[in-house]
Amino acid sequence: MLALYLRLIGARIRSQMQYKLSFWLELIGFALSTGLEFVALALLFGKFPVVGGWHLAEVGVLYGLSSTSFGLAEMVSRGFDAPFELMMQRGSFDGVLTRPLNSFFQIMASEFQLRRFGRSIQGALVFLYACRHLTINWTLARMILVPLTLLSGMTVYMALIVIGATMCFWTIKTPEVINIFTFGGDALVSYPLSIYNGLIRNLFLWVVPVGFVNYPAALLLLQRTDPHGLPAGVAWAAPLVAATFFAVACLFWRVGVSKYTSTGS
Amino acid sequence: MEFPGSSATGISLLSAVRMRNLRLYYEIALRAFRRASIYRAAYIAGILTNAFFAALRCFVYLAVYRAGTIVAGFSANDAITYTWVTQALISIGAGWLPWDLMQTIRSGDVITDLSRPWSFYGYWLSRSLGERCFNLLLRGSVTYLLGFFFFAARIPRLTEALAFVVAIGLALLVSFAYGFIVNLTAFWLIDNTGVMIIANILLTFFSGFLLPLAFFPPWLRQIAQLLPFQAITSLPAEIWLGHLTGPAVWRAFALQAGWTLALTLLAMLMLQSAVRKVVIQGG
Repeated sequence: MLALYLRLIGARIRSQMQYKLSFWLELIGFALSTGLEFVALALLFGKFPVVGGWHLAEVGVLYGLSSTSFGLAEMVSRGFDAPFELMMQRGSFDGVLTRPLNSFFQIMASEFQLRRFGRSIQGALVFLYACRHLTINWTLARMILVPLTLLSGMTVYMALIVIGATMCFWTIKTPEVINIFTFGGDALVSYPLSIYNGLIRNLFLWVVPVGFVNYPAALLLLQRTDPHGLPAGVAWAAPLVAATFFAVACLFWRVGVSKYTSTGS
Repeated sequence: MEFPGSSATGISLLSAVRMRNLRLYYEIALRAFRRASIYRAAYIAGILTNAFFAALRCFVYLAVYRAGTIVAGFSANDAITYTWVTQALISIGAGWLPWDLMQTIRSGDVITDLSRPWSFYGYWLSRSLGERCFNLLLRGSVTYLLGFFFFAARIPRLTEALAFVVAIGLALLVSFAYGFIVNLTAFWLIDNTGVMIIANILLTFFSGFLLPLAFFPPWLRQIAQLLPFQAITSLPAEIWLGHLTGPAVWRAFALQAGWTLALTLLAMLMLQSAVRKVVIQGG
């Protein structure tokens, strides 16, 4: 299965590299657009040195963790985006169902957007910049926490993209509202969760756990305490939360597939 | 091969608008307006998304402002009002460039539109105006009303509101011309997605959409003031805020009008050379 995935993805990447100029322009474009978004955030800190008690470098940790994982998720799961939507509209999802392979796997392997890595590169740069300006006590546990958090974040964002795609089974078009949780979630958790009201905090911690994967981890790395009493130790539960959320998304996908009625002529 | 419409793609502005065809362009705009009104799920989702992002930024402003402070001429209420008005302006192209023209160039459908007996620029302009007027009236105003109810975004005085309407009209023209120019690069590049992405971030950053230009450091602000993007977002928003008054409003109008002329002219020139290219490819 993995070998097949790598082979399909390899073909995708090779085909994207055929238009070299386009590829690099898009990669740079994605890095630049998220980069300038961060510049806008940094400029805000030029006028207001602290946001909810956090300095720019500390917010950089939050931003870096979320942005890097969101970029990774976008890179691997864009098959669930436009290509899948087109499949639904044309009715070509029928073909997917006839092949002797899991439909989830097929859709995931149908697209791999290397250029989305631009967002991750930019997020990682911000994270490194933040770490240079902070004195983080790098214990072994903290070093393990970073990749674990990135993986959990990627999983949560992937699950969201899958949930958005699954809605296609009923609505044919991916509802734009899912952007609130993907792009909006990423923007929201770039600031400390403590500045939001209870409704938003709880929504992004416990229902759509985008905030669960970077906020507690940042608390732990920076040795901060949450004013609303969220213990930093829950950072270690992030993989579990992410896996649960992904499982829910997969289940939802299954229900969607079972409800599929073809479109088209 | 000679396109009937190619005479209208000349540089002369008058020929672009062609007064006698005004009725035709009105009908095109009306149809675009109606088309936009059909996709109810799309605009409800749009309103929700815009309001979400606006609320998010308001929470940030509420966290950084202390009572009564004014930063770079912005009170907390100014910052909140600015946030909601710029989110509402997404409906006229403050946040995203349109991709529709580029798609017709890629697919080749552009040939049909070019050979129709009307001004190609006028056709796309009317379509865009119709669609955006609908979005402004519905998406924009509902988004702003949410800001008014939940975050006490400001309601301006009548004169400010009237000046805002004029500024929006000019902003629509500038925004359209910029989008047209960027879309048109598809004639020269096989895949202009990268160009579109970069053009898009320049727009959102330098127009003051991501952050008010007042919060920029002076040198960066000067750069922003030399670029056309502030005519799309920042100037109308500052008029709505009541930050520009008297002669400053007229200066803003003049600046917007200047950019409208300059960008429209550039768009026409590009279209002219693009049409020549199409003729060569199709010949």
